[in-house]
Amino acid sequence: MLGYALTRVAVALGLIWAVVTLVFLFIHLVPGDPAELLLAQGGVAPDPAAVAELRDKLGLDQPILAQYLSHVGGLLKGDLGSSLLDDHPIAEEIALRLPRTLELIFAAGLIATLFGVPLGTLAGLRAGGVVDRILAAATGLGLSIPVFVVGTIAILIFAQKLRLVPAGGYVPFSRDPAQHLLLLLMPATTIAVGLGAVMLRVTRSSVLEVLERDYVRAAHAKGLTPRRIVLHHVVRNALIPVVTVLALHMGSLLGGTVLVEFVFNWPGLSGELVRAVEQRDYPEVIGIVLVISVALVITNLVVDLLYAVIDPRVRHG
Amino acid sequence: MSMTVSRRSVLAGATALPFLRLADVRAATPGTLTFGLSSYPPSIQPWLNTGTAAATVKLMVYRGLTGFAPDGSLRGELAESWAPEGTTAWLFKLRDATFQNGEKVTSADVKWTIEQVSGEKSTAYLRSQMQSIAGIETPDDKTVRFLMKEPVAILPTLLANFHMPIISRVSDPKMPVGAGPFMITAQERGVSIDLEAFSNYYKPGLPRLKAIRAVAYADENLRVAALQAGDVDLIEYVPWQSMETIGKDPKLVLDAVDGPYMYLIFNATKPPFNDARVRKAVAHAIKREEIVKAAFFGRGSGLAHLPIPKASEFFNPEYEDGWRYDPALAKKLLAEAGHSDGFNCSLLSTAQYGMHKDSAEVIQQNVAAIGIKAELNLPDWATRVTVGNKGQYDMAVMGDAADSNDPDGIAKAIDGSLSPSYTRSFGLNIDKMAALIKAGRAEFDAAKRKTVYKELEALAIEQVPMVGLAWRSQGYAMQNRVSGFKNLPGALTFYSGTTFEDVSVG
Repeated sequence: MLGYALTRVAVALGLIWAVVTLVFLFIHLVPGDPAELLLAQGGVAPDPAAVAELRDKLGLDQPILAQYLSHVGGLLKGDLGSSLLDDHPIAEEIALRLPRTLELIFAAGLIATLFGVPLGTLAGLRAGGVVDRILAAATGLGLSIPVFVVGTIAILIFAQKLRLVPAGGYVPFSRDPAQHLLLLLMPATTIAVGLGAVMLRVTRSSVLEVLERDYVRAAHAKGLTPRRIVLHHVVRNALIPVVTVLALHMGSLLGGTVLVEFVFNWPGLSGELVRAVEQRDYPEVIGIVLVISVALVITNLVVDLLYAVIDPRVRHG
Repeated sequence: MSMTVSRRSVLAGATALPFLRLADVRAATPGTLTFGLSSYPPSIQPWLNTGTAAATVKLMVYRGLTGFAPDGSLRGELAESWAPEGTTAWLFKLRDATFQNGEKVTSADVKWTIEQVSGEKSTAYLRSQMQSIAGIETPDDKTVRFLMKEPVAILPTLLANFHMPIISRVSDPKMPVGAGPFMITAQERGVSIDLEAFSNYYKPGLPRLKAIRAVAYADENLRVAALQAGDVDLIEYVPWQSMETIGKDPKLVLDAVDGPYMYLIFNATKPPFNDARVRKAVAHAIKREEIVKAAFFGRGSGLAHLPIPKASEFFNPEYEDGWRYDPALAKKLLAEAGHSDGFNCSLLSTAQYGMHKDSAEVIQQNVAAIGIKAELNLPDWATRVTVGNKGQYDMAVMGDAADSNDPDGIAKAIDGSLSPSYTRSFGLNIDKMAALIKAGRAEFDAAKRKTVYKELEALAIEQVPMVGLAWRSQGYAMQNRVSGFKNLPGALTFYSGTTFEDVSVG
């Protein structure tokens, strides 16, 4: 088991190194000079001497290998570096933004679960009926409408017309908890539309499968009430694949909430990554990608190790 | 006592939710203005050009020796008066003013500021302009004398630039202290900037507001939605497609001016655009009203000459249609240049900004009508800048605003003697044009300056260092309870932040 665990950890570290190296190479290969961009905002022609001075100051005039070694050296010491734009420490920025994106994802997961699981169960229990058909149409709609369309329509109705919630933005929870939750509601719900549709469908098919199981027939034979059978035997067992699907989708959302963050002005990690790429802020791009890839690699590592614990054939395999 | 929640009551409650309209979602604070910025400033370093959003914030926090009044005229800020001494010196007298750290504004601060901007290690926007100052004398705390290397008639205008504020020489380099009407009290990077009124601001009774909260809304649709929903009091960069709706809304006020402009530039280091006749042919092939319609929803106007606005004293009516749409003339010019069958070329723009992409698409169709097959290259903005600086294009679409309403403000778009830049034609140095620009900058006599710029425009119409395409409308929108804010005219639109000192929320 120890040998297996060490191998998996080594593979995980190799993966992280590969991601950092590839991202470093790709972002440097793409045309665009951060010094030029910083001094050329608003379509102005910066003084070439000023650009040269800034390139020197930022270390951009060094050979790419020297820049790479310097950056990796910093990462090994736990230093993600500073933004090329304003010298702001990247670790601080990630520490600020990562929880906001995670909060958005978890809130979306919660809303999707609250709607997806009960409605999916209902659809499964009434398979082929009117309710099932309506829900099938609704999930089709939820899955096919892009998030930015859902978000824009939500803003139009709930912020502009009804004025129930602010159009977008962010207020820290510590400053104004009620306003913070109000601002979280629309972006989280927007993500939850697609996620909830997936959960509804998975729950429905899982419920249909469980309903055919012998222990459900046995429960009926024992004379248990339909309510007790559904809650204690059907839903509980049907939830296993639902939880797996939810976890997978929420993992992929870590770098995929960019459209929602943009539409609702939610200052999370995905939006910052896009901004950093646009501005060719090399250290910030690498720092954010590193954090996302480390999170995904660790998740996979834990799953791999758990498989080995659960199934001995894996570690001997 | 027990309470039963029936399915019917839950349904009834849910149905009633939309009618449960919250009176005001936004927590409005008296005397505080919430301003919707178009982006979060990448940096608020005083002398760097880090974009117009940063410039607006800088106009809240800093002040220069001179500035622009709401009507666009040049006015004194930290300088009470100024006058030339001969043609190679300027004398500025300072007023009583205090920095936000409590220090008095003195001639030593002015000298220190100019030395920082013009220094060898400087990355300031006006570095090269300030390097035309040979020396600075400070006979007393209130007097500054600039000794120039050569005559510069526009020095007071250059000093009004929002990238040229005077900074306290004893401030921390990481937290520069200015003498503007508002002080930054908090920043949430990427989200918002909080500012409070500076109680010792040198203008009595100003600023009128107690505080400003500048919140970045990068998505233009959300920015408008936030204004319409009452989340913000004032927004910048009103999208053209929303101007009509906002204009008709009785709760809102739209303040828009034609200021920035779109233009076309060329790579003149190789055929066919090294020939002025070919460049002129392109200039006469453009249907400018189509660009205004496609890119700006009709919010703007055609520009068939150098970008000198009609309101300017330097406007030359005889050249207003210098590059008028005339396809027959365009074809004739192409034939004279030996391209009667047309040719293929590249047209660089960017897909990142709709106005650049839409303008390029119209131009592509227009030049096709005279036989020029232009292949679009639409990378992201960062790549567009690099490709432009290296001259890796034949034609390129650009958008910009002059540095000021003075005609010298368009030099950056037409002066080929300057270093290569994505903002002007590549490798197109017309000696006489550079000489006229230099002469205009050095001329103190207003009448003679007009003659110089008239000659310059006549030359530009023939030599075509750039092709004017369209003026574009630049708009601010606000709740009708906001008063005192003014969109400055023409190229000065991005200086409108200077009027925040006069703003109040009723």
